[in-house]
Amino acid sequence: MILTSLDESLVAAAQRGSAEAFSRLVDRHQRAVRAFLRRACGDWAMADDLAQETFLTAWARIGRLKEGASVRAWLCGIGYNKHLTVRRSAARDRAREALYEAERDETKDALSEDKLALERAMATLPDDQRACVALCLAADFSHAEASEALGIPLGTVKSHVTRGRQRLLQALETSHAAC
Amino acid sequence: MPPADARLKALFALDEPPARDPEFSTRVMERVMRRRFQEEVAWLSVMALAGAAALWILWPVLGPMLVTLSRGFAPALGAIGLGVCAWVVLGGRPAAAPGAVT
Repeated sequence: MILTSLDESLVAAAQRGSAEAFSRLVDRHQRAVRAFLRRACGDWAMADDLAQETFLTAWARIGRLKEGASVRAWLCGIGYNKHLTVRRSAARDRAREALYEAERDETKDALSEDKLALERAMATLPDDQRACVALCLAADFSHAEASEALGIPLGTVKSHVTRGRQRLLQALETSHAAC
Repeated sequence: MPPADARLKALFALDEPPARDPEFSTRVMERVMRRRFQEEVAWLSVMALAGAAALWILWPVLGPMLVTLSRGFAPALGAIGLGVCAWVVLGGRPAAAPGAVT
């Protein structure tokens, strides 16, 4: 409750043009936004770029944020839309993409088999399902909060989470059986 | 929490960025401030252009008016100018801005 009211007062100050208040909002929510985007797009460097873009857009639209709305859900919603835009865009910078892949492979080397199995399973999930899993199973969002963030009906969020969870657990079991 | 969910959560936790990342926050705020600066420059440029255009349009009317007015007000403006100079020289200088080197 105290944290929510702190968010509300920071949002109110940012809406009056305070860059300092907005900077504190960035500090408070960068972890949630970046973690969500890492899980939603599977590419850490791209996720961090998208997170920066998310906060830039949030600064421009902070005036539209309604009083009492969840700031982290709002930010994750902006981030998710940016992620979808990038995914749908045909004109991707190939060189940049190759760099991302190289960085991703380096990161992957250090990860455990389980983590790799989870990443692979996440990559097979449809975008909406993946985003629901990333918010509800990994980031402790309530179904209602995820529904608000992603603009998806509550019932659909629940079914996405249930199905996504099943598929991830199945992938982990298969990975263990293979070992 | 069921063990399966705890296992998933532990694996997901490997993706977590640090709770505080000054480098990321600085990069974001740098871009925010740059954008704010660009917007201000754009706004000031538009206003300056609009002012210049208005002056150019109104100058045929304003020019003769100013010439007439300046004849009448020249002595008063001269006296005010001298008064301000005297006030500044005799110690009425505005205080230095906070943080300014004196």
